[in-house]
Amino acid sequence: MDSSESPTETKKTKSKTPRKNKETVLKQKSPAEFFAENKNIAGFDNPGKSLYTTVRELVENSLDSAESISELPVVEITIEEIKKSKFNSMIGLIDCERVDAELYDDYETEKAREKRLAKEARAQEIQAKNAALGKKVKETPASKGIRGRGEASFYRVICKDNGKGMPHDDIPNMFGRVLSGTKYGLKQTRGKFGLGAKMALIWSKMSTGLPIEISSSMRNQSYMSFCRLDIDIHKNIPHVHVHEKRENKERWRGAEIQVVIEGNWTTYRSKILHYMRQMAVITPYAQFLFKFVSDAPEKNVTIRFSRRTDVMPPVPLETKHHPSSVDLLLIKRLIAETSKQNLLQFLQHEFVNISKSHAERLIGEMGPDFSPKMALKSLTPQQLVRIHQLFRQAKFDDPNGHCLSPAGEYNLRLGIIKELHPDMVATYSGSAQVFEGHPFIVEAGVSIGGKNVKQGLNIFRFANRIPLLFEQGADVVTRTALKRINWSSYKINQLQDKIGIFVSIVSTKIPFKGTGKEYIGDDITEIASAVKYSIKQCCVQLKSKIVKKMQAREQQERKRNLSKYIPDATGAVYNVLKDMAETQLHASKKFRYGDDDGELLRKVYENLITKETLSEKLAKHVEQVDYEMALEYATQSGVSEEPRETIYIKPLETENKIIDLHSPFFVFRMFH
Amino acid sequence: MAESSKKRRRTNTDDLPFKNKLKPDSAILQTLKDFSTSFSSSSSSSKTLTLQDLSLPFSCREVSDLSLSSVQSNIESLVLRIAHSILSGNGFAFDVPSRAATNQFYVPELDRIVLKDKSSLRPFANISTVRKSAITARILQLVHQLCNKGIHVTKRDLFYTDVKLFQDQIQSDMVLDDVSCMLGCTRSSLNVVAAEKGVVVGRLIFSDNGDMIDCTKMGMGGKAIPPNIDRVGDMQSDALFILLVEKDAAYMRLAEDRFYNRFPCIIVTAKGQPDVATRLFLKKMKMELKLPVLALVDSDPYGLKILSVYGCGSKNMSYDSANLTTPDIKWLGVRPSDLDKYKIPEQCRLPMTEQDIKTGKDMLEEDFVKKNPGWVEELTLMVKTKQKAEIQALSTFGFQYLSEVYLPLKLQQKDWL
Repeated sequence: MDSSESPTETKKTKSKTPRKNKETVLKQKSPAEFFAENKNIAGFDNPGKSLYTTVRELVENSLDSAESISELPVVEITIEEIKKSKFNSMIGLIDCERVDAELYDDYETEKAREKRLAKEARAQEIQAKNAALGKKVKETPASKGIRGRGEASFYRVICKDNGKGMPHDDIPNMFGRVLSGTKYGLKQTRGKFGLGAKMALIWSKMSTGLPIEISSSMRNQSYMSFCRLDIDIHKNIPHVHVHEKRENKERWRGAEIQVVIEGNWTTYRSKILHYMRQMAVITPYAQFLFKFVSDAPEKNVTIRFSRRTDVMPPVPLETKHHPSSVDLLLIKRLIAETSKQNLLQFLQHEFVNISKSHAERLIGEMGPDFSPKMALKSLTPQQLVRIHQLFRQAKFDDPNGHCLSPAGEYNLRLGIIKELHPDMVATYSGSAQVFEGHPFIVEAGVSIGGKNVKQGLNIFRFANRIPLLFEQGADVVTRTALKRINWSSYKINQLQDKIGIFVSIVSTKIPFKGTGKEYIGDDITEIASAVKYSIKQCCVQLKSKIVKKMQAREQQERKRNLSKYIPDATGAVYNVLKDMAETQLHASKKFRYGDDDGELLRKVYENLITKETLSEKLAKHVEQVDYEMALEYATQSGVSEEPRETIYIKPLETENKIIDLHSPFFVFRMFH
Repeated sequence: MAESSKKRRRTNTDDLPFKNKLKPDSAILQTLKDFSTSFSSSSSSSKTLTLQDLSLPFSCREVSDLSLSSVQSNIESLVLRIAHSILSGNGFAFDVPSRAATNQFYVPELDRIVLKDKSSLRPFANISTVRKSAITARILQLVHQLCNKGIHVTKRDLFYTDVKLFQDQIQSDMVLDDVSCMLGCTRSSLNVVAAEKGVVVGRLIFSDNGDMIDCTKMGMGGKAIPPNIDRVGDMQSDALFILLVEKDAAYMRLAEDRFYNRFPCIIVTAKGQPDVATRLFLKKMKMELKLPVLALVDSDPYGLKILSVYGCGSKNMSYDSANLTTPDIKWLGVRPSDLDKYKIPEQCRLPMTEQDIKTGKDMLEEDFVKKNPGWVEELTLMVKTKQKAEIQALSTFGFQYLSEVYLPLKLQQKDWL
C-alpha cells in the first residue's frame, strides 16, 4: 500500500503530530478520502489490479446502461499503453536524465554486475550445450534489467458503449461524488459499492493526476455532452474543467469514458483477458471488442467476442424488503422515506409477503400499544425495536425470485458453447431459494472438453452475472466441486477430463466474504446445497450422454481390443502343443493321448496346424462374436434413439373430401 | 567374557518395573515344560480334521500338492481342450474358480477359511475378460515350460518373461493364483516361488536341500525361510514353544539377546503380513515338532489381522488353506489389556484413527475372532479405549525390557489367550 503518498491533509497532520498530543484535533474524512486510503476494498490493491478493476467497472457500467433501456449491448474497450516520456509530455514535464546514478535504487554495483554477467554466461553455456545435443532449446527469459520502483507504466483506458447515456447536468455528480449512485435500491445489480468509475477516477488522481473525460449522448438529444473533470477528494465534490455541449452529427447514443491510470499490463494481462472471456460466457447477447494498443506491435491484442443471441434476460426489478431481512436502522429509514401514513399501510406496502390480513395479525401480536391506524410518526424507538423483534421471530413466506434476473439456462449454455466449444455441455437452472430474506437463484453448467480448457476442473464463478476471478480457493463453488461431488460416479475423470464448471448465482444481496467481494463463503448451507444440487443435476444429464458415448466407442473398438490379444493367446497355446508334440515323438511308443488329441498333436508336429491356423480360427470367432454384439447393440439402442413423430400420409388416389375454413389470417383444412 | 557382560547388563536392569515378580528362570522353565508336554500329548491324541470328515451343506474347493508330471498333464489336457475349441471355431474360455469374498466360508470346526466351488467363465471373446484369458493362457504355457525343465523361478522372474503383456506384477501374480486354483494344485507345485521374506532363529535343526542347518548358529539375523518348502526336512528341536513375532525389530532384539537360550524356543517372523513360505514353514514345524505357537504382535487391529492370516488363512489363498494355516495360535502379547497392566505410559500409546476403529469393529464381526471369547474381550477393550501400541512401546522401560521382563513374566503367568 502506498497510500502514504496520497497527499491528503489528514495524513500529513497525523504524521506530524507525534505522541505528545498537544491537542487532539477532531477531523472528518470525506467518503472519497476514505476510499482513497482504503482502495484495496474496492479492488485497487496495486497498479495491476487497479487496471483490472478499472476495466471491469467500466464494462459493467456499460452493460447496465445498455440493459436498462433493453438495448443489446455493444461495448468497446481499449487499453492504450503510454510510455513514460509520452506521459511526461502529456503532463508537461520535461524528461530528466539521471546524473548521479548511484542515487537510484536500481543502480548496479560492480559486484552485482560481475555476478549477473557470470550467471548469464553460464546460462548461455548450458543453452549452447543443449543445442549441440539437439535438445529442445528452452526460451530463456531475456534478462530483464532490474526494474526500479519508480518505473511505473501508464495506460489510457477507453470504454465506449451504446447504452442509455447520461443527462448532461448530472454528469459531474455521477463521476465526481463518491457514494452517490443510481443503483442503491434493493435489486440485483452488478456494481459492488456504487463506486464504479469514481474509484477509477480517484485512482487516476492518485497515480497520474490526469482528469477523466466523458462523452455522452442520450436518446432524442441533439447534442453530445462532453465533460472533463476530476474530483476534490477532501470535499468529495467534482472539480469540473470543461463541461460543454457539442455537436452530435452521427446521432450517436451512448457513453464513452476515458481515464489515464497507472497500471501493470504484464502481470494482469491474463486476468483481464479471462475476465473478458468469462463476461462473454455469461452475457452472450453482448458484443465486446477488446483492444490493447502499445508502441510494440507484437504486444498488441485485439479480441472480438461476438454476439450469439438477441435474447436478453429481463431487467432486474427493484423489490421491497423482506421483513426477515431488515434491521432496525433500515426500518427507521423506510419509515422516514415512506409516503404511507399509518402502520397498517406501511407494513402492507413497504414489505413483500405481508398481506393486509397478515399485517393486522402482526399488529395485534405487537402488543396493546399498537393499533393499525396509529401514525407512523408517533412510533417510539422502543416500539420500533418491538417491530424489529417480531420481524425476526415471526414466520413469513419466502420471497419469490421474480425480482431476479438470472442469465437463463439458454444464455448460459450458449455462452459456454460460444466461448469454449466443448464436446458436451449440460446446464441446470434452480428455482429461487432464500437466504436471510434475500432470494437467490443458482444456475450451473458443466462442460466436457473444449478448446483452451485445461485438464481437470476449470471453475467459472459468476455472482449477479459478473465473473469472480480472485480468491477462488475458499469459494463455495470451488469447495463444492472439489470436495462434495463424486465425479467418478458420473463417469467423469476428475484429473484427466477437461471439465468446465460454471456456476452463476444471482441475488438481491450476494453474501460476499472478505473486503474485496471476490468470493462467496462456504459456510452458508442454503447456498452450498443449492450449488451442489445444481452441479449434480448437470452431471446427471452428462452421465447418460457419456455412457452412451462410451458404449459407442466400445462398439467401435471391441474388435480391435479383442484382436490385440490373439497373438498372445494362440502363441501360448501353440507353444504348449508344440512341446507336447515333440515329447510325444520321443516317447512315441507310449500312447499317452486319445485319438483326437493324438491326431491334433500329429498335425502340429507335421506343421499342418501352426500358430497361424490357430490365430485365424480365433480371429474368425472374434469377428463372429463382434458381429453378434453389434447386432445386439443396434437392436437395443437403435429404438430408443429419438422419440418418433407420428406422420400422416395422404392417400394417393382417393377423392379429396375437404372442408376449408377461411379466416382473414389462415385457412383451416379438414380431411375426412 | 560374554557371560560376565550379560550379568552386568542384568544387574543394571534390576529396577525395571515388575522385575521383582519374576520367579527364577528354572521355575518358569518348569511351567513351560508342563505346558509343552500337555500340549503335545493332547495334539497327538486328536486327529486333525479334514474337509471330508465334515459333511458340509456345500462342496468346497481344496487343492493339494501335485507332482510335476501331474501338473504337466493337467495343463496339457487343458490346452488340448482349448486347441480343439479354437479349431472348431468356438473360441475358448477358462473356467476359473472365483476367489471373491462371497465365495469364501469360515469353517469353525476346522478353524480356517475355505473356498466354495463357485466359478466364473473367462471367455476370450469378451471385452472385459479378453486380457485376463490371454494372460492365463500365457501363464499356463510358462508353467508348462517350468514343469518340462523341472526348475523353480520366482514370481518376479515369471513377470519379466512377458512384461509387455502382464504390464504389472500384481496381474501376473493374481492369474498365477487363479491357475493353481484351476489346476487344483498348490502354488508351490507350479514351481513358482516368492522371494524369501521370513526368517527363523532358535533351537531348530533342519535340512535345506540336503544341507543341515542349525538355527542357533545362524548369527543374529537367523536363517531365511526357504521359499519352497519341499526341500525342507528332518526337523529336530528341543524347544518348548514357537514364538511368532510380527515385527523385525522385536525379532532382532530377541535374537540378539539369545532369548532362545534362556527359554528354549524357535523364533519366527515374516516382517509383517506373512508370505506363503513362512506360513508353510510354521505349519510344518508345528505338525512335525508338535509345539505350541505363541504370537507377539502389535496391539492394533492389524496385529490381530496378521494373527488371523497365520491362524485361518487369507481370503486370497483360501483354496490352499489346508496347507497354509496353523490352527491354535495363542495370543501372547501385546494385548490391549497389557497397556494398563504393564503401566505403559500415555506418550507411548497412539490414538487409533477412524480407519483403525472401523477395522477393529469389522474384525469383531469376524468368525475367527468370535470363536475366542478372550480375543473378543481384548478387541472390545481396544475399540473402547481407542488406543493402540506397538511392541516397541515396551522399550520405554529400556530396550531389553521385552526380553528381560515382559516375555518371561508373560510365560511365567501363562498369560496367553
